[in-house]
Amino acid sequence: MNIISGIDITAGALNAQKTRLDIVAQNIANAQTTRGPNGMPYQRKTVSFETELIKQEGGATVGSRALQGVRVGAINEDKTKGERIYDPQHPDAAADGYVEMPNVNMAYEMVDLMTASRAYEANLSVVKNARQMALKALEIGK
Amino acid sequence: MALIGAVTSLQNPLLAQLKAPTRTDSPTGPVKLPGIALPGTDSNAIPSGGFGKVFENMISSVSTKEADAQAITRDVLLGKNDQVHQSMIAMQEAGMAFQLMVEVRNKVVESYQELMRMPV
Repeated sequence: MNIISGIDITAGALNAQKTRLDIVAQNIANAQTTRGPNGMPYQRKTVSFETELIKQEGGATVGSRALQGVRVGAINEDKTKGERIYDPQHPDAAADGYVEMPNVNMAYEMVDLMTASRAYEANLSVVKNARQMALKALEIGK
Repeated sequence: MALIGAVTSLQNPLLAQLKAPTRTDSPTGPVKLPGIALPGTDSNAIPSGGFGKVFENMISSVSTKEADAQAITRDVLLGKNDQVHQSMIAMQEAGMAFQLMVEVRNKVVESYQELMRMPV
C-alpha cells in the first residue's frame, strides 16, 4: 500500500534506466578493450526493457487491469564485427598484423547515454508530481 | 448524506481524473490502515478500544514506514544497495504518511476544541 500513487511503477522505471546507464558506462569503458575474458575483443552490450505486471496486496489495478511497470528484460550482445586496424606491434595482433577492435561506436553510446538520462529525468518528474498531488489532497481539510 | 452537499458531486470528477473508479484516493486500492474501518464496510470492522486504539495503530504503521525508509537509506549509505532513488522515494513515502497522520490529529483536536466551546 502506498500513499503516493503509482510510485512502484516509477521506481521500477528509474531502476531500469539506471541499468541502461550502467551498460553504457561499461560499453564506453571497454571501447578499446581488445581482449575480454574469452580472449576476443569486447562486444557492445544493449539493454531491452519488458513489461512487468505489478502485483500488490490489495490489488494494484486501474479498472480491472493490473498496473504495468517495466524491468530490464535482457542484456544482449551486439554481434557486429568491430573495426580492424593495422598495428603489428599490438600484443593482440593477428599473424597478418591486424587487430580487431571492439564494435563500440562512441556516437551511439553518447546518444544512448543522453536518452537514458532524459528518461530518468522524466520519471523523476513523475515522482515529483505524484508527491505534489498527494500533498494537495492533504490540503482539502484546510 | 454528506454534510457539505456539493462534496459528492465534486468527488466524482476528481476521482475520475485519478483514474480510480472505486471510492479510493489511490489506484493501489483503498488506503487500509490497520484498525481503521473504511466507510461502507460492515460494523464489526470497527475496532474496540475507541479512538486511542485507532490512533495507536496509525502511529505504528507510520513508524513502520519510517523504519523501512531508514533501512533502505542505511543500505545505500553502506554500499549494500545502489538504488539512491529507492531510498529517496521511501523517505518521501514516510514523510507523506507522517503528514497524513498530523492532519488527522489536527482534525481530531479541532473537533475536540469545538466540543469544548459548546455552551451548556
